[in-house]
Formats: sequence, structure tokens, C-alpha cells
Amino acid sequence: MNETIPQSEIRIPQLVAPLRERLFPNNEWVLIAVLLVECAIFGVTGENFFSASNAFEITRLSVEIGLLALVMTPIIITGGIDLSVGSMMGLAAVVLGGLWREAHLPMAVAAIATLLVGALGGALNAALITRLNFPPLIVTLGTFSLFRGVAEGLTRGIENYSGFSQQFLFLGQGYVGGLVPTQFFILIAAIAACWWWLHRTSYGRSLYAIGFSAEGARYAGIPVARRLFFIYVLSGLASSLAAIIYVAHLGQAKSDAGTGYELMAITAVVLGGASIFGGRGTVLGTVLGLFAIVILQNGLRLSAQPAELAGILTGVLLVATILLDRLSRRAQAQPRAQTISEGEEEVRNSQVAVLSAVILAAALLVVGGNWLLIRSLRQDLKNGAAQPNSTTSQTNGHKPVIAMMPKAKGDPYFVSCKQGADEAAKELGVELLWDGPTDLDPAKQNEVVEAWITRGVDVIAVSVENKVGISTVLRKAKEKGIKVITWDADAEKDARDFLIDQATPQGIGYTLTDEAARILGNKGDFAIITASLSAANQNEWIKYIKERLAEKYPDLHLVAVQPSEGDRDRAFSETQTVLKVYPNVKLIMAIAAPAVPGAAEAVKQSGRTDVKVTGLSLPNMNKPYVHDGVVESVVLWNTVDLGYLTVYAANALATGTLKRGDKELNAGRLGKIEVVDDEVRLGAPFIFNKENIDKFNF
Amino acid sequence: MNLGRYKRELAAAVAFLLLLIMVGISAPSFFSAENLRDLAVNNAPTLLIAIGMTLVILVGEIDISVGSQFAVCSVVAGELAKAGVPVGLLLPCLILIGAAMGAINGLLVGWLRLPSIIVTLAMLVAWRDALRWVTEGTWVQNLPANFQWFGLGQTVGQLLIVVIALIVLVSFSWALRNLGAGRAIYAVGSDSEAARLAGVEPQRVVFGVFVLMGALVGLAALLNAVRFSVVPSNAGLGLELKAVAAVVVGGAAITGGRGTLLGTLIGAALLGTIGTALTFAGINPFWEKAIQGAIILAALVSDVALDRLRISDFGLRSKELSR
Repeated sequence: MNETIPQSEIRIPQLVAPLRERLFPNNEWVLIAVLLVECAIFGVTGENFFSASNAFEITRLSVEIGLLALVMTPIIITGGIDLSVGSMMGLAAVVLGGLWREAHLPMAVAAIATLLVGALGGALNAALITRLNFPPLIVTLGTFSLFRGVAEGLTRGIENYSGFSQQFLFLGQGYVGGLVPTQFFILIAAIAACWWWLHRTSYGRSLYAIGFSAEGARYAGIPVARRLFFIYVLSGLASSLAAIIYVAHLGQAKSDAGTGYELMAITAVVLGGASIFGGRGTVLGTVLGLFAIVILQNGLRLSAQPAELAGILTGVLLVATILLDRLSRRAQAQPRAQTISEGEEEVRNSQVAVLSAVILAAALLVVGGNWLLIRSLRQDLKNGAAQPNSTTSQTNGHKPVIAMMPKAKGDPYFVSCKQGADEAAKELGVELLWDGPTDLDPAKQNEVVEAWITRGVDVIAVSVENKVGISTVLRKAKEKGIKVITWDADAEKDARDFLIDQATPQGIGYTLTDEAARILGNKGDFAIITASLSAANQNEWIKYIKERLAEKYPDLHLVAVQPSEGDRDRAFSETQTVLKVYPNVKLIMAIAAPAVPGAAEAVKQSGRTDVKVTGLSLPNMNKPYVHDGVVESVVLWNTVDLGYLTVYAANALATGTLKRGDKELNAGRLGKIEVVDDEVRLGAPFIFNKENIDKFNF
Repeated sequence: MNLGRYKRELAAAVAFLLLLIMVGISAPSFFSAENLRDLAVNNAPTLLIAIGMTLVILVGEIDISVGSQFAVCSVVAGELAKAGVPVGLLLPCLILIGAAMGAINGLLVGWLRLPSIIVTLAMLVAWRDALRWVTEGTWVQNLPANFQWFGLGQTVGQLLIVVIALIVLVSFSWALRNLGAGRAIYAVGSDSEAARLAGVEPQRVVFGVFVLMGALVGLAALLNAVRFSVVPSNAGLGLELKAVAAVVVGGAAITGGRGTLLGTLIGAALLGTIGTALTFAGINPFWEKAIQGAIILAALVSDVALDRLRISDFGLRSKELSR
């Protein structure tokens, strides 16, 4: 072991690193390769993937997460983490909206105050981490709950601030020079500032030193606590800035802003090659990591691939990049320890490159396979088509492409709508794209519509989650000649051509109240199990339920509104508690699809035969409970028919057979459907009970 | 008995007692046998996950993929029952399937030495999206009648769930204290290199812990699923944070090597009852999340307040400097 090393083999440290290491100090070339592969694949599979407008749209969608990821980079470099950034966005959005509307402050003042709140929240994290030496993971896990909780508490979950001025909205929705999104400049400035700060100042170097060894850095004279304090404050500040842009982008400020963004930001940073143990990471890597994810999502959408693939591929990519990094580092570390000559080191590098290619190929195999399939199908569809990508209504010759979006793909309610939509698409022979957020997420809805505009579809049909926010992009779609339909929930009137109207919030609220009154005999206590406390739809129904109670049923009392978070199991335990705390409650009204079976199971297990359940849900999941007599009735319309009718209306609109002023629409097995002005009416809400529920299967 | 060793668990226990006293004064009906039984049954699955998470955190790692694994296991349990697998076989099946998913994490973290937070973050996204892709959001319905409560009836079924959870708690707690494998977990979590020199193989310990975590997820998912007659496809959202919070409130150090299952039990009980307790006390549910966050932070602060009294960093540093 102690042999002296011959002079000739001692390597003189190079003062100037090779070009590759200088350009890509952290193996960022791997990510560039990934990006190139993504672009190559999506360039072929995706419609209009390579276009200037798509490129800029991608940047617009990545600004909020980009800002979070940029400040997450120095935090991770110091070996820390900040899980509270998404929740801070929620709090900041609520503060901004509240100060502007309730306190009547000018927008600029409200924005500055919001930034201050962000900095304060960051300072709370920072104080706990640096003064009391707590692990950042735990501190920010606590503030993750705390910030979101305060935001919900302040607004009682209900408040949804909107109606912001045009100048403010320009920040999030406008175009500079007709093409470049406004917030693009903010992202560019933030990237440049971060890059300079981290890689060109001694301050930035000191963060790396802290990440390698906080103790060592302290002995080297770096004020560790002060540096750490600053970056966590900066993180809070950036989160509130992201929140302001988010509000301007969507036109609404609500306590659920930025839900889940912390994971996206961390994923981008780690994918960018930052080490979670600290000491390693670059701004370039983070930016590349961010775009690798965003382009993956965008490209899959433009190629009409299932969006769930994005999650799976992101997971694979994440593990593959760190694995590669680990292997290449091991390969680089060994030669130094064992004095292996230059040539072999080259070989090792090329081995790593081969390995990376193999992993990439494996990860993209799925896409490739599906692409071939889609390609051949599309070729069949396009036979004889003069203008395949025409976005006008001149669809003679090619089958209309109808893009349909639910509020949430995973929701059983929308799953049943898809059932009807698929049926109609098959009958008509149209191409149906079905995509949307996996969970309720207004920002994602905008993103999907943008992708469809870029892709060029004939009709866009949206079940709207955020009226104000989505109307901007829907108007843009109309300008591009795409027909726009809203179904299930409406956007602003001028942003769409037709509304497929199943029931108004008022109709739902009133029907539910009347049904409750019928069951209770116009007298008694009842409780509501809602979705989440900030769910917009449910809050609107509750508003009309209360209105109806006040005007018609003075002896009916709503004693509690408890959240279920759209989770059957949570609805179950909340109902159990309500039954014990309010023994006089004789009816549980559950107004989210998964909440009704949850509440019913709780009532059933409690053995309380005097308590009934009603609510808004789907027939199938409640059949056993309806037959048991626990669930008295379920209020809903025929959701399968809703999906079916929407596709029929969309097709009629695309082929020009449905116009304003028409009195009726011929909708396949549904027969003639009434059309009033710009609304296609499915009919009144339907009450499912013991007698009729077995006739329905959805 | 040296209570000082359990001061972190004590802090959590005191907080829990305070909560119980406050609820007891404002709403004594909270302590009805019925309510306590329901709380125990509802929190048993979370407790099982938290037990696994304690092991993972003790060894110095973290697993944030448990919520997604839980959802996958729930759906698999439903599908297996529907396919005619006898109810008695579901238990070993689910434990195996869970263990297999845990083994993937274990391989990547233990043998390839990738950071656990990244590996499990990837799994969190991948499993959840894969499940969405496959099920398209539909629930598993029309299960055989003997699926609910394993066909044993409600009273026995509820008892069985709580008893299984308690058996797991007690046996793991005993094993952690008295078995070589249990001590190895503490050893690796305290100092992996020292453990290696002492003859423990850190890689195998980490791998084993992740497999156990997965097995417990499978068990918890099954016990949760049999409480109902339908299996939803979106179970376990946010479960990972609940479990980590319970472990941390229970006094375990996130850096590994310190913590007990007794503490985890108290932490899980505290966080599991808070929502119900608030409803009993008539406090608006809007503040529930904020109060949960405050409890996590308070647990930390009490931890350090207790810590400061004894060996603080400063004490160590000044000794080093004077040498």
C-alpha cells in the first residue's frame, strides 16, 4: 500500500479543465441528450410540436415551477430542502387576493405586501432551521401543513378572488410583441440572476462549501447560519412571486394555488444533477431538468399519448439519471485512486455514454411503440384527406378531431362521462382525444387547452374548473378557428360557442335540498360531507342549498359541513364523527361522488337505522347501499348521456349542422335534444332510488 | 427507570394528554367506547405504515412512495378477491406483493446506494400514474360478499384489524430492542461505517428495512380495504406525509439512529385523533391543517428545548476548540 508512486505517473493537476467539464461541470450533457431525444421523438409524433408559439407556450407553463426550482437549487446545494414552497404559494395567493379586494389596497401595494408575507414565511423556516438546528425536511414538512392550513383558515376555503384588472392579468396572460409571453422575461431574468449569483460570486461558492461540510465552511470563516437564513427567506420570497404570477396567469386567487408544486420543483432540480446530500448542482442543470419534464408532458399531449406516461417516464428518468451519475462518478473516481492511464478513462466515459443510450432507449421504448401504432391508425384515418391539419370547420374528407376535457380524469363521475363519449365517437367515427388534469387543477386545464390549440383540433369541449382563468385560452382557441364547447360546467359566455347544460348549480342545490326535505319530512338536522373545503363547485351548491333552506324550509337545519378531500375513507371517518357529535342529525348529504359510499358505509356500520344518506354520486358505487336502504336516493343526471351528447354536439358543430338559432339537435340514441339559444339541454337532474337504480350502469 | 431516555416520547405523550384533557372537558362524549373503537379501527392502517416508516427513518432513509404503493395494493387486493382468490390467502399475497414493491426501493437504495428520497419520489409518481393508467379511475366493485371483514362480521372484523396492528407493533418493538437485526437498524442509522466495521452489512439492513416497509404497506392496504365493500382507485393520497409526521412527532430523529415505536404510536395517535377531537370540540375544520402543522413544529421545538439543557452543539464545539 505504501509504495511510492513513480514520478512519471503523478498527474499534474490541470489548471484549465477540459472544455466539456467547463461547459458541463455536472454532466449536464446527459440531459441535453435526453432533451434532444425527446424533441426528435415528439417532433415526429406530435402535431405542430416544432413551432415558435409552442416553444413559448412551454416557457409560459414552466415559469411558476421554474422560479421555485431555481431557488430550490441553492437550498439543495447546501444539503437542505424546502417542502413548503407550494403551500406558501397558496398562502401568498390568498393574501394577495384578500389585500386587494377586502382591504382595497392598490395592486402594487398588495403585491409588495404579498412578497413580504412570503419573506416572513421563509424567515420562519429559516429561523427554525438555523437558530434551532432542526432538519429542513421536518421543519418544512410542518410549515407545508401550516401555510396551507392558514390559507384555508383565512378564506374558510371558500373565497375565490377574481376580477383582477387587465394590466395585472397581462403579467400572466399577455404577449409581448404578440408572441412572447410576459412572464417569460421574469423567468429569463431569474435564471440569469441565479446563474450569476451561484456560479460567479463568492457568495455562491460559499453555498457549495456549506453543502460539502457545514462545519468545515464555518471554520473557513463562512457565516453558515446567516447564509442559510438568507436562502430560505429567498425561497419564501420566490414562492410568493410565483404565486403572484400564478394568480395573474389564471385570473383567480384561491387557497389551493400551487398544490403539489414542491414535488415538481424538487424533481426538476434533482433531475438536473443536484445531489440531495449537498455540494453539487448547477443552474444550467436545473433549467434543463425543468424543460425535460415540461417538454415530456407537452410532447405526450401533442402526440395524443396518455398523460399518465409522463409520470412513469419522469420516474424512470429520475432514477436513470442518478444511477448514471453514480456510475460515471465511480468510473471517474477509480482512475484517480489507482493511477490508470488516460486511455482507459476514455473507455470508461464511452461506456457510460453507451449505458446512458441504453437506458434512454428503454425509457422511450413505450412511447415509440405506441407511436407506431398511432401513426398507422392515423394514416388510415387520413386517407383521402386534403388538409389533414385544417383547423377550420371545412372537415369534408377528414374525420373531425374532438378534444374533450374533464375536470379530473380520475374522478369516477368523469370516467362515466368518458364511457358515453367513447360510445358516441365510435358511432360517428370521429377521433376523440380525452385528456385533462388527474386531480382538480385549474392551471393544468389551461395547459391542456394550450397544447390542443398548438396541436390543431377541430373542437375543444371543456368541463370548466375555473371560469375566469380558462376563458382567456378558450377565446384564443376560437380566434384560431377552433370550435369551443363547454360541458358540465360553463366558462364565460363569449368564450365558447355552445354549452351542454345538464343542470345549473342552482338546480343541483335546490334539488338536493328538496330531496333532503322530503326524506326528513321538512323538519330536522342534517350535515353535509363535501369534497375539499376549497372545492369551487361544492361551495356553490352549498350556497344554493343554504339559500333554499332560508326561503323554503325554516325547520331544516344544516349543522355541519365536513371535508372528505374526495377520499372515500375520509368521508367514512368524518361521517362517524358527525353522527356522534350531532346525535340529532338524521340525514347525511354527501356532495362528492366518492363521499356518498363512504358516508353510507359509516351509517351502516354504526347500526343507526334512523339515519339516511342522500347526495350527489354515481349509481354503480351506491347500488348496494341503496338496496340496503341506507342511501335513500342519489341525485345526478345521466353522466353517460352527458358525455355522449357532448360528442354528438361537437361533431354537429364541426360539420356545420349545429348553428346558433337551431331549435333541436339530433343526438343518436338520445333522439332530438332541445337547443335553447346557445345551450344544449340534457334535462333536469335525475333522482336514482331503489326502483330505478338497477337500470343504470355507470 | 431512566425516564430521560424517553424524554422525546414523553413530550409527545404530554401533548397528547393535553389534547385529551381539553376534549374531555369540552366534549366528554369523545371518550365513549364506540368513538374510541372507531378511532382505533380507522387509524390502524396508518399506524402500520408509520411502524414501517419508523424503521426506514431509524436506518437514516425515508420512503415517500408508501401512499402510491398503498393505492396499488388496495386495488390488487380487490382484483384478487374478485378473481376468486380465497379470502384467507389474501393476507400472505398482499404481504408478498407489498414486499416486492418495497424490494424495488430496497435494491435501488440499499445496493445501488441511490438517495432514498429521490428513488421513492420517482416511485411515488410512477406507481400513482401507472395505477391511473391501468384503472382509468374506476373502482373495484362487485366484490365477493366475504371480502368485507374477511367474512367475519363487523365486530370480529374490527377487533381483528386492531389486534393485528397491535401484534405488529408489539413484535416489532420487541425485535428492535432484543434482536440482533433490530439493533443493526439502530447501528446502521447511527453510523453506517461504524456498523460495517462492527460486522453489520449496511446494504443488507437497508434492503431488509425497505422490504419490511413494503410488506407492512401491503398488510395495511388489505386491512383498510376489508373495512368496505368497494375498493377505490385513489386510496392513500398524502399517506406518506401522515406517516412521516407521526414518526417525527413521536420523537424519532430524521437523521436516523434514534426513535422508538412507542413514540410512533403516540405520534400516530396524536395526529390521528386531532381532526375528530376538533369536531367534538366544535372547532371549525378549516383550521385543521394549520393546527396539524403547528403540532409538528411544536414537537420539534419541545425536542430542542429539552435537548438544549444537555448536550448541545455548542458544548461539543467549545470542548473541541479548547483542545
